[in-house]
Amino acid sequence: MHVVSVSGLCKSYPAFQLKDVSFSLEGGQVTGFIGRNGAGKTTTIKSMLNLIHTDSGEISYFGMPLHGNEAEIKQRIGYSTGAVSWYPRKTIREIIRVTKGFYTGWDEEACQSYMALFGLNESKKPMELSEGMKVKFNLLLALSHRAEVLILDEPTSGLDPFSRDELLELFGELKRRGVTILFSTHITSDLERCADNIIYIRQGRIQAASAKQEFMQNHGRPGESLEEIFLRLEREARA
Amino acid sequence: MNTLLKKEMQLSALLLTYLFIGFGFMTLVPGYPILCGVFFVCLGIYQSFQSAREANDIIYSALLPVAKRDVVRGKYQFVMFIELCSFALMAVLTILRMTLLSNAAVYRQNFMMNANPFYLGTVLVLFGLFNVIFVGGFWKTAYRIGKPFVIYVVVGFLMIGAAETLHHIPGLEALNAFGFEHLGLQLLTMFCGALLYALMTYLSYRKACSDFEKIDL
Repeated sequence: MHVVSVSGLCKSYPAFQLKDVSFSLEGGQVTGFIGRNGAGKTTTIKSMLNLIHTDSGEISYFGMPLHGNEAEIKQRIGYSTGAVSWYPRKTIREIIRVTKGFYTGWDEEACQSYMALFGLNESKKPMELSEGMKVKFNLLLALSHRAEVLILDEPTSGLDPFSRDELLELFGELKRRGVTILFSTHITSDLERCADNIIYIRQGRIQAASAKQEFMQNHGRPGESLEEIFLRLEREARA
Repeated sequence: MNTLLKKEMQLSALLLTYLFIGFGFMTLVPGYPILCGVFFVCLGIYQSFQSAREANDIIYSALLPVAKRDVVRGKYQFVMFIELCSFALMAVLTILRMTLLSNAAVYRQNFMMNANPFYLGTVLVLFGLFNVIFVGGFWKTAYRIGKPFVIYVVVGFLMIGAAETLHHIPGLEALNAFGFEHLGLQLLTMFCGALLYALMTYLSYRKACSDFEKIDL
């Protein structure tokens, strides 16, 4: 059974269409979601979280359809997007105190350990944090309730190289614990290091969804890195 | 207290909204359209909606482990909490005006509406209209608050004007009763106001849940 399954997702905007997006995620694997700006990554991710009303398609987690099981599923998944500020004038302590009341699986010990790992001070307010620290705060909220699936939209953007390295280490550790991770990124070198699978989207349509090695064999040329493959595929598509 | 209401009160709401409950004290102002107190309470709620919008509150709430309709429910619970706290304050002050202050000259020579059960019923109708026009209107987009608030202000002040005028119409003087005069009629108008409040709020909530399901965040 797939941990996450997306099937036939369609969404039309006046200037953009998500067309028949389908893929699935296996348990305990890291999947990189790549594509240019505006390719449909965030629309897909938002659809997976029911933040967007899709025209058609089905999304299920742990064998349960999202619609009708939203609250139960969200107890078991975590989401983090780049440097969005939630409640910029509240302290981190206040935000955490309220947020943890919603999660039956909130792990205070893990929360405190991530707080220390990320160097966050709970007396600070999101408006006082740098972009990179905001990313870390969002990640802390996503990681502290023992999520089985993490959906991360550009989680490494805005992070310094050292923090990015720490985060990728953390992904490896979470993967060993059986956590399934989907993350979209433009920094394909991150995926070279930690991804098991690649989903490649272009102009709202999935171009490839496979194991990373298979993706590189099918689309790459000898000696090409993931980034080079991605750039070449985009250039070829534009030509 | 449930977690959603707690979240609304501790993260989304502004202190100003709680302070504006104090405008219920306008019930005691003589020679003044005391229903305007409702407008200021609603203005306080509006400020919290504005602040919550800037804090990405709706997306944050939608990501919590609750169904999308529960996000709407949390907001309605908060709005009703503020409204009913204000109503409770207005009700206590109305009872004060109906009993200890019923013969006070400043109230006896009052050209404007008296504080009585009809006043309280009208307060509830004004809150119900706020829930339909502003709160319900907000959920059509989950970010646009200016237009529904302006519409509410226009409708609300027309309603206040109408309510202030009614007791000057021959035959309707009983609506402006002092003390416990015409108590049966007075209580009936208050009951009707409460019924309308409940009905408007419920229908607005149902529509808001349906609208919120359809929009993209």
